[in-house]
Amino acid sequence: MTDLLFLAFAAVTIGAAILAIEARDLVYGAAALGIAFLGVAGLFFLLDAAYVGWFQIAVYIGAVVVLILFTVMLVGPKKGETPLGLKRVSLLAAMLVSLLLGMTGALANATAFPGPDSCGSGCALSLFSTSLLKSYGVPLEFMSLVMAAAVIGALALSKTDRGE
Amino acid sequence: MEPLSSFFAVSTILLGIGIYGLTTKRNAIRILFSVELIYNAANLNIIAFARLRNPPIVTGQVLVLFTIALAAMEAAVGLSIIILVSRLNTDIDLSKLSKLKG
Repeated sequence: MTDLLFLAFAAVTIGAAILAIEARDLVYGAAALGIAFLGVAGLFFLLDAAYVGWFQIAVYIGAVVVLILFTVMLVGPKKGETPLGLKRVSLLAAMLVSLLLGMTGALANATAFPGPDSCGSGCALSLFSTSLLKSYGVPLEFMSLVMAAAVIGALALSKTDRGE
Repeated sequence: MEPLSSFFAVSTILLGIGIYGLTTKRNAIRILFSVELIYNAANLNIIAFARLRNPPIVTGQVLVLFTIALAAMEAAVGLSIIILVSRLNTDIDLSKLSKLKG
């Protein structure tokens, strides 16, 4: 069951990632990117990181993909990208390299990383949240500071000067 | 349960796709897609490695939480830069942006 789920999520993730890079229309590319994020979230669920999976769905699909879609619509339709010269060759090379690297990763030490057992109480959400707030409370606050700075910076960048 | 190395394989393939997009595309939004894919590959790797021990290490999940938040901020700032560039330049082809070149 989990094997089938893993295969499905992995196939969806990789296929949607390739589509996101290669789709002719940027809107389709953004949608495919959202599906790839969903696949990665499914893999997180399989790894017993349910909270991170929900966070991934909320932040990536809820915020980032919507932001990208807005930007695509604001920037407007492209007349078509000018492709680099050796496009075919580099596509082939990239596919070959990623395939080989993936196969190496899968085959190299398959016994060194055995499948994890059922997680039990070690994966309880309470453990995660206690650790997040107690051990990593200060980094969490710094993260919110960085977030505020980034949002203000983004607003300042895209502000239009009426005077000019 | 699948062995963890298959998760590493998926992560590596995602990294390969991201690097391919970074090197061959010129549209700024497309390059942002590639960066996000590379972020996701790194997150998957961290979560899988945190799962290696039983009980799993909570630090990995916390780290990925922070990484996702940082990636969202990076996307916000990057997209605002793209909007600014498209307003000034009417084109977001990164190979044509040479205004700051010395």
